[in-house]
Parts: sequence; structure tokens; C-alpha cells
Amino acid sequence: MTITADGIYKSFNGFPALRGVNLSASRGEFVALLGPSGSGKTTLLRILAGLEFADSGRLLFNGRDVASQGAGERNVGFVFQHYALFKHMTVAENVSFGLRVKPRDKRPPKAVIDKQVNELLRLVQLDRLGDRYPSQLSGGQRQRVALARALAIQPAVLLLDEPFGALDAKVRKELRRWLRRLHDDMQLTSLFVTHDQEEALELADRIAVMSDGRIEQIGTPAEVYQRPATAFVYEFLGNANRLPCRIDRGRAMVGSLVLPAPEHPELRDATGVAFVRPHDLIIGDARAEGLEARVRQIFVAGPAIRVELALLANGEMLEAEVPHGSPAGELIAPDKLVTLTMTKIRAFPDAATA
Amino acid sequence: METQTAGPATAAKVRRATTESPLVRWALIATGMLFIALVLVLPLISVFMEALSGGFATFFQAVGNADTWQAVRLTLLVAAIAVPLNVVFGLAAAWAVAKFDFRGKSLLVTLIDLPFSVSPVISGLIYVLLYGANGWFGPALKELDIKIIFNVTGLVLATVFVTFPFVARELIPLMQEQGRDEEEAAISLGASGWRTFWYVTLPNVAWGLLYGVLLCNARAMGEFGAVSVVSGHIRGLTNTMPLHVEILYNEYDFVGAFAVASLLAGLAIVTLVAKSLLEWRYGDRLAGGRKH
Repeated sequence: MTITADGIYKSFNGFPALRGVNLSASRGEFVALLGPSGSGKTTLLRILAGLEFADSGRLLFNGRDVASQGAGERNVGFVFQHYALFKHMTVAENVSFGLRVKPRDKRPPKAVIDKQVNELLRLVQLDRLGDRYPSQLSGGQRQRVALARALAIQPAVLLLDEPFGALDAKVRKELRRWLRRLHDDMQLTSLFVTHDQEEALELADRIAVMSDGRIEQIGTPAEVYQRPATAFVYEFLGNANRLPCRIDRGRAMVGSLVLPAPEHPELRDATGVAFVRPHDLIIGDARAEGLEARVRQIFVAGPAIRVELALLANGEMLEAEVPHGSPAGELIAPDKLVTLTMTKIRAFPDAATA
Repeated sequence: METQTAGPATAAKVRRATTESPLVRWALIATGMLFIALVLVLPLISVFMEALSGGFATFFQAVGNADTWQAVRLTLLVAAIAVPLNVVFGLAAAWAVAKFDFRGKSLLVTLIDLPFSVSPVISGLIYVLLYGANGWFGPALKELDIKIIFNVTGLVLATVFVTFPFVARELIPLMQEQGRDEEEAAISLGASGWRTFWYVTLPNVAWGLLYGVLLCNARAMGEFGAVSVVSGHIRGLTNTMPLHVEILYNEYDFVGAFAVASLLAGLAIVTLVAKSLLEWRYGDRLAGGRKH
């Protein structure tokens, strides 16, 4: 199933939630809608599901216009953020719901329904829990019931709204790998909403980064992470330090440092912002060339040492990451003066960051 | 350190942050119990004592009176019509208010509360003003030979008006709290609106609905003011149990009055017992929903 959304606008009480969104997903793809809360990602997912209707724009499933179809006609599996399981039904009754409510002429006989439910419960590894009620299950189990229920109608598209949002970190990690395998095994076309960049980078074939009702960039995880199209995408995907800079003929001047900015060969002495990832900040001896900074805090727990520094020039706080056991580790101590250089930056002129 | 004292785990000394001293606890419980005894239990006992003060024979004579039976039948009939109507109205209103956004919603919620804030006597008078012989529609109704005031129709109308808020008021907060997620899930799984309501919405509010029905029923059977205005107190014809109690009382037939009153109280107790039985029988199945 291919999905094409074309120029989708949607506003709620005059407040625009989506301002012209174009998105496509091809058969078998796993697409993440990534963005902060209020960016419109859940609204877009609900419009795809038919739970909301766009003010304007086209929506095609396999080339067929479905914009006027209701949720029930689109054959879409939707997994809700808080699962929305039917509290008064057992797990098996929840899963079979979509089959039991089919019109009489399309409804499979009871034996077939029971068999399918058992298969689905085995698929989501809950085959012994069919008689339980949702209130008797853990969060991860409820999530899998919600998934089995959505899959029971053999949907062409699977839509998931913050599927792991309410789970603890460990369960979340297990479940998302399992979900990725399931998606591949069943050859689904899936879209999911998340505000967790790590989740999107790990799980998705392509990521649509959303902000303020628009899609800022669509691409593979590697593309959006390594070549962010806008300042927003850079900041949202991973930690980033912001430094004011001047951009001139393909170079960026950050304080006394001159760094390559090959994306902007045409700009002449423009003001802008340079972003640098914490692991691209190099801490050097106080006498070396670079930006002078003072060490404020050191956090040693974790895969790398995190260092908080204040620039002497303007007091701006920066974050650097130093691998355990590296020579730079010797230089850092609270309140010590150091210099900073950068291996890699990404500069954006001001107009684009506004 | 060797001189460790017994840890705080000693059972008798376990304290919770929400616990008060024994004195305060007893004072609170005693106040509550005393209040319940004076306001609820004693009056209930006195009703049955008075009813039986002349012995069982007198009691059964009073209860077996033809007019009394007619009043019982009429009361049950009015409740049997008014309660189902208000269940349908209440469900529809609560469904609309809780699950949809529309203009004038707060006005609708205020209107639902209107019968609570208006004195029942006024409610009755409104119907007399509208449908009475000299009322707005009086002449037209006379033409059509439809009798509303001093008739069962009027009693039902007045009762429906007075008991309208009970079901809706009980369901609105419950449905609002539950949100639309489950309905959306059902719709996206292909269920029609009707099936969604029947299989998802209704079971989720079953306990709230039951409670609303019980309150509605109790009020429908016990309503006095509005019914009194539209009834005309025609014995054996438009007399409900509360009205019959008053008539007997005014005629100094105290045993008769209390006998009928005890029947009314008995009906209330039966509904409460029925509710408890249902809860006990189906409690597990509906554990997901909220209980009262």
C-alpha cells in the first residue's frame, strides 16, 4: 500500500495545526513522524487514519482518493498512545472486536474468528492471557494487545501514535525491536509518531521531522542526522551547541576560529548560527589556539565524560563529550581554563533560523 | 553499633501519613454515625413502627384498600414510563455533551440542570399554564379531546421534567472522563456508530447508568410537588402514593398514612438491594468500569 498526502491543511478553532504537509510512504516502508509536542505529527496521523479530516489537501491510498472516507472504510490499523483497550472485554474479545463487528455477510464464522485470535495472540506472545482483562496486564502487554487488535482486521496500513510513550526504558527498547521485526515479517506499511529521536533513528526507514505544522525534512535516519536541512532539524536530532557566527564565502567565523561551511558559498558576511555536536568539541590546553572557556561541571557517569563549559567571551554555556581515558580528560578539572576547537560544525544563516 | 533499638517495623507502631490520632478518628466516626442515626435510620424505623402501631391487621387493612392499590399501580406506571424516557434522554444528552463539540454546549448543560434549580411546584404550574383548561394550549387540546392536566399524561410529564437531570448528570462527568479513545478505536476497527455505542460506550457507563436510573426511579416514585399541582387529587384516578399519603394524613388516618409511606420506603429499599445484588453478581465482569 502506498500512501500519498498532498498539501494537507488543518486548523482547530482558527489555530493552524498543519500548514501544507506533503508526505508519501511506499509499500513495506516504516516511516517515523518525529517532532516536539504541538508540531502536528499526531494530527497528521489521525488524518491518515480518518479520525480527523483535513480542511484541504489530497490523501491517496494506492492512488485512490480516500479523503472523504471514514475511519472504518479505510482499513487502517490504529494503535493509540494509551492503547484505548476496551476495559470491559477480555484480551481475546478485544482482539476479535474488529472481526465481530463486520457486517453479517463479511463476518467470518466463530470458529474462524477464534482461530485467528489465537494466531494473533501467539504472534504478540500473549497466547495464555486471552481470558484476562486489560486491567490485569502490564503496560507492555497492553501495548501488544492493542497491536494484535489493530492487526486483526488485516490492515493495509498500520498507524501508531507514540507507541512506546507510556513504557519504561527497558521494555520500550525490547518492544521496538520486536515491532520492527513484526513489520518486516508481515510486510506492513507503517507510520508512527514519536518525539523520541533515538526511537525514530533506530526504528524507521525514513524520518519526517515536523515542526510547527510543517515537515522540515524527510529522509533516511542517516540523511537527517548527518545532513540536517534546517537549524531546527539539527537541534532536534541529538544534542547541539549553538554559537553565533559570521558566514562568508563558504567559511564560518566563530570567535577567532575560521571553519569550513561549504553549504554557503554564495553568502557574503552574513550573520548566522553555527551548531556543533558535543562530541565534535575538542578541549585543548589553555595556551593552545581556540575559544577560551572555563570548566563548570563534569559528569563522569555514562558512556563518555560530559563537560559543561562557559565561554569567557560571553558566558554562553556549552556541552562537550570526552571519551573515557582520552588525553583531553587530563585537562579538565572544575574551574580550569581550557580552549575549544571544533572538528565539524554546521552553519545556518539567520534568516533560515528565524 | 550494638545498641540498636527495635526498628520502626514493629507492627503496632506502623503509622501512615494519612492517619489521625485515635481520639480524632473516633470523634469523626461517632459524628458520622450519630448523624446517620438521627437523620436516616430513626425516621425510617419510625415510619414502620407507626405503620404497625395498630397491629398487622390494621396495617393490611390500610394497605389492602382499593384506593391505596390504585395509588401503588399509578405510581409504578408513572415511574415505568418516566424512567425509560429519561434513560433515553439522559443517554442522548450525555453522549452529545461528552463526545462532541458544538455551539451552545454549555447552555445545554445549564438547561439539563434547570429542573434541579426550579421548585417542583413551579414545574407543575408550568404544565398547568401550558396545557390546563385556561392554559396556552388548553382550547386546542379541548378541541382534540386530549386531556393532560388532571390526568396520567400530566403526571408523567411533570415527573419526566423533575427527574430529567438524574441520568444525564450521572453520565456526563463519567463519559467526559473516559474520553473518546475507545470509541475511536471501535470506529477505526470498522464498527458502526450504533455498534460502537452498544458494545463500547454503554458497557463503560453501565454502573453510572444504573446509579442514575435508581436515583431517577426513587425520585419518580417519591415526587410530590410537581405531581401534586397537575394531579387534581382525584382518588382512585390520579392519586400517586405520595399524594395518597398526604390525603390520608390530612384525614387523621395516621396508621393508613404511615402504612402507605412504609410501602413507599419499602420500594426504595428494594431498589437499593437490587442494585447491591447486581453489583455483587456482575461486579467482576464490569470491574473496568467505575462503581458507586
